[in-house]
Amino acid sequence: MLGLLGEQGSDFAYKVDFAHDIVTIISVICTVAIVGVMLYFAVIYRQRDGQDHETPKIEGNNTLEIIWTVFPTLVCIWVAWLGYDAFVDLRTPPAGAMEVNVTGRKWAWDFTYKNGKKTTGELVVPVDEPVKLVMTSKDTLHSFFVPVMRTKMDVIPGRYTHEWFRPIKTGDFQVFCTEYCGNEHSRMQTRLKVLPRAEFERWLADDSEARKLASLKPSDRGKELYVSKQCVTCHSLDGTPRVGPSWLKIFGKEGKLADGTTYKADENYIKESILYPQAKAVAGYPPMGMPSYQGQLSDDDITGLIEFMKTIDGTTKVELAPAAPKKSAASTAGMSPAQRGEALVKDSGNLCATCHSIDGSKMVGPSFKGLYGRKEKLSDGSEILVDEAYIKESIYKPQAKIVEGYGPVMPAMYEGKLTDENVADIIEYLKTLK
Amino acid sequence: MSAHASTAVNEEVNYLNWKTGIWSWLSSTDHKRICFLYLFSIMIFFIGGGIAALLMRTELMFAGPTIIKDPHTYNVLFTMHGVFMIFLFVVPGIPATLGNFLIPLMIGAKDVAFPRLNLFSWYLYVFGALIGAYAMLDPVDTGWTFYAPYSTTTNTSVSTMVFAAFILGFSSILTGLNFIVTIHQLRAPGLTWMRLPVFIWASYATAVIQTVATPVVGMTLLLVIAERTFGAGIFDPTKGGDPVLMEHLFWFYSHPVVYIMVLPAFGVVGEIIPVFSRKPLFGYKLVVLSSMAIAAVGFIVWAHHMFVAGISDFSAKFFSIITFLVAVPTAIKVFNWVSTMYKGSISFKTPMLYAMAFVFLFMVAGTTGIYLAMLGVDVYYHDTYFVVAHFHYTIQGGAVIGLIAALHMWFPKMTGKMYNETVSKCAFAALFIGFNLTFIPQFVLGMDGMPRRYYDYPPQYQTLHTISTIGAYLNGFGYTFALLNLLGTALWGKVKAPRNPYNSKSLEWQTASPPIHENFDEIPVVTEDPYNYGTPVPGGGH
Repeated sequence: MLGLLGEQGSDFAYKVDFAHDIVTIISVICTVAIVGVMLYFAVIYRQRDGQDHETPKIEGNNTLEIIWTVFPTLVCIWVAWLGYDAFVDLRTPPAGAMEVNVTGRKWAWDFTYKNGKKTTGELVVPVDEPVKLVMTSKDTLHSFFVPVMRTKMDVIPGRYTHEWFRPIKTGDFQVFCTEYCGNEHSRMQTRLKVLPRAEFERWLADDSEARKLASLKPSDRGKELYVSKQCVTCHSLDGTPRVGPSWLKIFGKEGKLADGTTYKADENYIKESILYPQAKAVAGYPPMGMPSYQGQLSDDDITGLIEFMKTIDGTTKVELAPAAPKKSAASTAGMSPAQRGEALVKDSGNLCATCHSIDGSKMVGPSFKGLYGRKEKLSDGSEILVDEAYIKESIYKPQAKIVEGYGPVMPAMYEGKLTDENVADIIEYLKTLK
Repeated sequence: MSAHASTAVNEEVNYLNWKTGIWSWLSSTDHKRICFLYLFSIMIFFIGGGIAALLMRTELMFAGPTIIKDPHTYNVLFTMHGVFMIFLFVVPGIPATLGNFLIPLMIGAKDVAFPRLNLFSWYLYVFGALIGAYAMLDPVDTGWTFYAPYSTTTNTSVSTMVFAAFILGFSSILTGLNFIVTIHQLRAPGLTWMRLPVFIWASYATAVIQTVATPVVGMTLLLVIAERTFGAGIFDPTKGGDPVLMEHLFWFYSHPVVYIMVLPAFGVVGEIIPVFSRKPLFGYKLVVLSSMAIAAVGFIVWAHHMFVAGISDFSAKFFSIITFLVAVPTAIKVFNWVSTMYKGSISFKTPMLYAMAFVFLFMVAGTTGIYLAMLGVDVYYHDTYFVVAHFHYTIQGGAVIGLIAALHMWFPKMTGKMYNETVSKCAFAALFIGFNLTFIPQFVLGMDGMPRRYYDYPPQYQTLHTISTIGAYLNGFGYTFALLNLLGTALWGKVKAPRNPYNSKSLEWQTASPPIHENFDEIPVVTEDPYNYGTPVPGGGH
């Protein structure tokens, strides 16, 4: 009705919202009525000329007292029932709901599926199917809140709690931790990704990456991640400074931070820098250059990366992944160019979303929203129309024409990685982001 | 001690000047002087907690780190804000200041039943406050709720802080006990229970809660210390304990404590509206009954703070239904206050403006409370900014506005001076507008799902946060303005207050302003109701 709680993502959301709207209407009417009567009395019975006028000695009225005892009681019973009814739905998962185990820890969420697949930082579920989360905590209290689903439950060490929902639409939705859990409480956010059934099945069955990583020794695992998580883009192995410091002999290195203090790159410093890159940025590098890997890397992944760093001695080489686009022809067949472009932009391997938002918010790079067709001022003072040619140039040669107010931090890694056709698809997608 | 009886005209001798020197105040067992001891000590923490709040609001004005560079400092600030405001300011707020000043005066007594115990309570408060301030040297980051296992594992001085709260609890218990005995034993001849002003009834209900509920939080806090010091394993699941038990014990006290804060404010409003409307309080008996009902029901609703904490669905349903029972007596009070104004002769002195603002703010607090009592809706709102806004309307809009209203109302009696009416009205306007501007956006933030206790937030919430911060500055300015006006006129004001500037019927106004040390020249005999205003009309009463 009133839509005060925003987008509805689950089948019981309408029930919660209905109860919410009913109370809103009752509350507004009651408040306006009572305050209105009070102000009306204040005006018509005001003292005039600073003189008291005669007042009647009215001490009460039993009929009125009965009315305003009984009436609120009845309203309360009705409203309590509305809340109760929605709660019963929220707390009763249908039999056969798909279960996902959720573990909260300071400060990330881990998800484990029935087939053994594990994710961190992203809960992926199919649309239109009931999902039951079986949750526990490794350390302190947390709470798993999915606003769009209208549900929330505390996550408690030493016992299991559960919540469930049936998503009614696909998309990415925000998940918050809502029980205070220490320093990074406000960053303990994760993403709920609702996929069409077939796509979810494909995603769930695809465990190749995880299996491969788990079988490697830590330093090799780190080496794999160095490529697959795109560390390679900004951190060289041969001493060349790029967007970030080179990893050559980085372990144990000492130096100056942007704020003038010194650092020593031990295990803890490296872990902190991976999770909270802005906390202790090395002097001379753009402070907003690196995104946080919070939720994208597990503790084992980070250990692997650290072990890998310890091995980098100048002879270390990695093989970059083949330049061919990752998506197979089969999965993009039948999609429109704009849809293919969207898939490319959102593909974590391409990293676009790391620096460019699609909702207009300013990140490391300009937002994609409304970008196409806009006039942008460049850092050399000239103006340019963002058209096909400019976008293509910016993807292949990012440093050529930089929009004013942004740093020269975008890696030149897309030439060969993205085909001309891919770029055309991306441009079609950008056109849809008004 | 410099105790010299004044040689000037007899009327000039009052409780403020009959003895002089700092020590005569620190050793005074006069309930009126103890009121001032409390007033000055709680104001220190009101200012401290207020500064913490403004720092937090400044940080939250824009997304991303701004003035506070790390989340730990932010977490310390909201803990400090909560602990200072709840344990050190609002809980002792009206009862220990106005309660101390007014209870003996309103019932026609010379002092409270145990004057030395009363002074001892203040020293306990100071002791607890000093320990609390000391704990802030290694500042606690748990939030004022001290939830386990975070509080039992965090590496900050939680033990010291909860010990401070434990001591403060004793101060509160002893004050409550003192008031209960005073109201039972020391009423003037003719002052029957049904002739007691509603402020006395509210203080009585408050004192009962203080005495009964506070020991439970004392126990709970000792258990937290035991857990931290000896690894007792009561809340630690790896040793068979249960963190949810801590929440039950904590809220068993901390829900009733909301009524410790707000019931006295109900009493204050019940005193102000009849005087400035020149009408008897409408439905006196029901107003009294509703205070007692709120106090009683308040004890069995605690788990409505825990609907998503892992309690059984059955108990969630039980506590939801009981919680709705609190709404009814609260609604009755509001209806009766407004009806009191009917056919009155209403003047808008500052206390009356605060009382009318209170009615509006408490309507908002009460109706938003309904959302949180509703199970299905509370699941969404729990631990979001909606809750933050709701309890600030209750505690600040209720208890603190009640305290400020009372300080204006009884200022002439307490100091013997009149405050500056124009200045206090301007301050009221700033404070009232600022308050609403701070917290209305926070309701909307809650609707959008913004969680509380967040150092940083996604950019979509920024506009509302910015508005809220601007409101907070205005609110802070309003309080500063209002309190400086009172302080300034108390110290340097030239306008002497008459005995009864508002022409009130209740006992405290029948003695001198300020009263003498023993309150009344002779113990008064009460022959009428405290709200005996207006001309009798046929069929007008019951």
